[in-house]
Amino acid sequence: MSKPSDLVQGTLDLLLLKILALEPLNGFAISLRLKQVSSDVLQVSDGSLYPALHKLEQEGWIAAEWKLSENNRRAKFYLLTRLGRKQLAKEAANWTRLSDAISHVVRIEEA
Amino acid sequence: MRLEHWFYTIPLRLRSLFRRRQVEAELDEELRYHLERKIEEFDARGLSREEARYAAFRAMDGLEQRKEECRDKRRTNSIENFFQDLRYGLRMLRKSPGFTAVAVLTLALGIGANTAIFTVVNAVLLRPLAYPEPDRIVNFMLGNHEIEGTSVPMFMFWREQTEVLQDFALYGEVVKGPGVNLTNTDRPERLRSIPVSADFFKLFGASIEIGRTFTAQEDVPGGPRLAVLSDGFWRRRFGADRTLVGKSILLGGEPYVVIGIVCDIEPIHSAWNAQGPSLRTDTPADVWLPVQADPNSADQGGNYRSAARLKPGVTLEMAKARTKLAEARFRQKFPGGKLSSFSFNLEPLSEAVVGNVRLGLLVLMGAVSFVLLIACANVANLQLARATGRRREMAIRAALGAGRRRIVFQLLTETLPLWLAGGALGIGFGYSVLRALLASSSVNLPRIGAQGSAVTLDSRVIIFTMLTATFTGILFGLIPAFSASHDDVSAALKENGTRSGSGLGQSKTRAILVVIEMALTLVLLAGAALLMRTFVALRTVDPGFEAHNVLTFEMSLNQARFDQTVAVARLLRDAQRRVEGIPGVEALAATRSLPLDPNPDYAPVIIEGRPPTKDRYQDWAASRDVSAPYFEVFRVPLLRGRLFTERDDERAPRVVVINETMAKAFWPTDSLGRAPLGERITLYEEPPREIIGVVADVRDAELGSKPEPMVYVPVGQRLDADNAEDNKESSMIWVVRTKSEPYSLSDGIQRELRIASGGLPVSHIRSMDQVRMEATASSNFNMMLFNIFAGIAVLLAAIGIYGVMAYAVQQRTQEIGVRMALGASPRDVIRMVVRRGMRLALMGVLIGLVGAWALTPLMASLLYGVKASDPVVLTSVAVLLSAVALVASLIPARRATRVDPVLALRLE
Repeated sequence: MSKPSDLVQGTLDLLLLKILALEPLNGFAISLRLKQVSSDVLQVSDGSLYPALHKLEQEGWIAAEWKLSENNRRAKFYLLTRLGRKQLAKEAANWTRLSDAISHVVRIEEA
Repeated sequence: MRLEHWFYTIPLRLRSLFRRRQVEAELDEELRYHLERKIEEFDARGLSREEARYAAFRAMDGLEQRKEECRDKRRTNSIENFFQDLRYGLRMLRKSPGFTAVAVLTLALGIGANTAIFTVVNAVLLRPLAYPEPDRIVNFMLGNHEIEGTSVPMFMFWREQTEVLQDFALYGEVVKGPGVNLTNTDRPERLRSIPVSADFFKLFGASIEIGRTFTAQEDVPGGPRLAVLSDGFWRRRFGADRTLVGKSILLGGEPYVVIGIVCDIEPIHSAWNAQGPSLRTDTPADVWLPVQADPNSADQGGNYRSAARLKPGVTLEMAKARTKLAEARFRQKFPGGKLSSFSFNLEPLSEAVVGNVRLGLLVLMGAVSFVLLIACANVANLQLARATGRRREMAIRAALGAGRRRIVFQLLTETLPLWLAGGALGIGFGYSVLRALLASSSVNLPRIGAQGSAVTLDSRVIIFTMLTATFTGILFGLIPAFSASHDDVSAALKENGTRSGSGLGQSKTRAILVVIEMALTLVLLAGAALLMRTFVALRTVDPGFEAHNVLTFEMSLNQARFDQTVAVARLLRDAQRRVEGIPGVEALAATRSLPLDPNPDYAPVIIEGRPPTKDRYQDWAASRDVSAPYFEVFRVPLLRGRLFTERDDERAPRVVVINETMAKAFWPTDSLGRAPLGERITLYEEPPREIIGVVADVRDAELGSKPEPMVYVPVGQRLDADNAEDNKESSMIWVVRTKSEPYSLSDGIQRELRIASGGLPVSHIRSMDQVRMEATASSNFNMMLFNIFAGIAVLLAAIGIYGVMAYAVQQRTQEIGVRMALGASPRDVIRMVVRRGMRLALMGVLIGLVGAWALTPLMASLLYGVKASDPVVLTSVAVLLSAVALVASLIPARRATRVDPVLALRLE
């Protein structure tokens, strides 16, 4: 039962929130978008995507809506809620702080 | 923030719970959409339809597991799972009614027994006394003897400690006291009356129905004759006549003005059980009279109780310290005296009431919890056996994504209905058995009311039972659940069909459970056997008197015309002449107290001619006032000298008869065996009396204790003042020896006694056989319950060991078949099976022996005539239990010999 091993714990949430902040998408589209935006660096298996989405939904950060998809089939679209927007801001800030700190450490010249 | 969060999440949770079908359909559709798009994508890359499908599913990495993960995110999954498992569990139980019935009945037995005992514990130990602020009421006592009454001067000194205490109450005896005769009617009746001080009503929180209670101004010597009636008595005797208040009634020949009616308050009186004296609260008084005690009294007699309430912020220790101060002042005023061997002390009132029955009840509670553990172990064992048949089911569940936690929870949820049903059934079952038990036997426990009417189910009992059921259900449900979830999935799936052998782990768990059952059963059996030995010892102990064919009647002489000893002596003579005239009556005597129904007086003894010890009240003896035929009625043999005769009256020289223990204790160096005849002793402040006889010892206080030194004093030779005081403190008890069944003569004797006494009623008619039974009631109660518990335990343990062995035989059918095919005789097979069964049993017995050796000393004070670690008892219960285990494993062993080798091998 593989976990999203390539992702730092908790970053999947951030990625999903960020992607949905741009536009409402359905699950399949999200999986495509993930690959696309990260230039295939970030691998998220289809299997772990849906539990992650359902978790965000249950937290109230994203809401679901059934709409017709681009190929005219009914699909479940997710969109960011007000609560989700706040969460995104918080997690993005955390991420920036953390990555700055780590880059800083990495850049230290070895004596 | 939090609120906004709920705004989003609550509708989602509700939707998950109540629109479950729709939510599930959406989940399906969402994932289906994904898969379809994925297939299209692979399709476009040129894969075949079949390959594309396979690739899409593989990318999902287990569709059903993913769905389950998504469901887990809903947060309501555990609730849903619970109900789903519950439904499934109930369905499984319905499908195997035999198992369900056995399991539920076993649990009902175990839980019911616990409910029954806990109901008693609740009524006696846990429910607060029905007084305002009951835990702040303290009981005044002398040393550690609740039974030793307070004298008026002691109370007066104690009452000065108003900085720490308030609502001081002085009150008399309800049951042991003489009560008072209601005489101005055609139905004379002896009432249960007690003298009380004014604050009594305040301390014990009487609620006034009509009128008022006494004031402190009325509660003084020479104050008005007033009476406060209990609601119950007023309704029963006066038909709730409201105009009675303000009128007077004739009590003991004197008019008393009724000033108020109060609702029955839990009254307090002293009693005696196998563990010694205690206060009791379960006999209501009919009427309360002002005690009108003299604050300047120097009278150290008197058999009062006293109690008070701690002032706010005062601790028991502070009050005790101040009580010591009162003692010092008292000793200053009355040096020496009755107090020298006692000291002022306080204890919480509840302690005085239940202190000495606590141990017995807790031991019972412990015993009954063993029964429950055994019952639970048995059911867990049954479940383990069933779990074996469900290994494939569990493996499939695991393969489909059920985590270990999930499986454990499922099995637990399936188990819980068994325990809850057992609990529900147990409440009904335990309570009804308890009711029958309390109604049919005399149980000597405080606070349980007439025939246990105060022992009732309340919310605490029900909560206790349901908690017990849930807790043991979870505890014992976890055993089979964990054991099942341990299984190796692929191994279980590979095994073919139903005949899969039980995992090694499971049979080990079952063996351990059986060993534990055997051990617990042995401890219970040991306890039961010890109490049985106690019971037999108490039954066979020679009480020193003959109880059979003796009938007793009580009469209150609490009225002015019997103040003079002469009047009492005349009554005794008249009564004796009349009653002994009845055909079938052998002898009539009068006494102030009965053997085995104790409340004896203790008198300080001074022996004439001995150099005074530094404390002149060093020596005490129990004292009993009797009329001459007392020894004849009870057939107490005379050892030396002579008994009282009718000529030992108020004009004759003052005499006394003592018992053998007193002769030996007080005259230890008597080599000729003649002393102490002719010696003279002084009791209290009386003039000296001559010892005229020594009689054999009688077990007076209780069957299980050694006789104490005792003096018998002729009723007709008491000083007038003492006689009058006796009349106020105790009844006269008539004892009649009959030639045949005594109750048949009861009516005639009552009639003659009434005529002789000028119309006084008699009450409390009991045979001495009955008195003797009541004296051992509490040990009988303990023994009976213990035997029931031990019986259930043995039965359950036998079933347990039988179950394990029968199952083992079934599992090893093939092996046995092979052995028999290879030439093993039926004897060999039996030996093989029995050896295994007995190994478990003996292990349990050994552990149980250690447990019994460690635990039975706790019940040492409940035993008589046998030591807690009695080797004979321990050996015999070990042998008994082993024998039961042998029989229980022989049955499956014999079945094993009937295995047909051909059939068994063909199963292969």
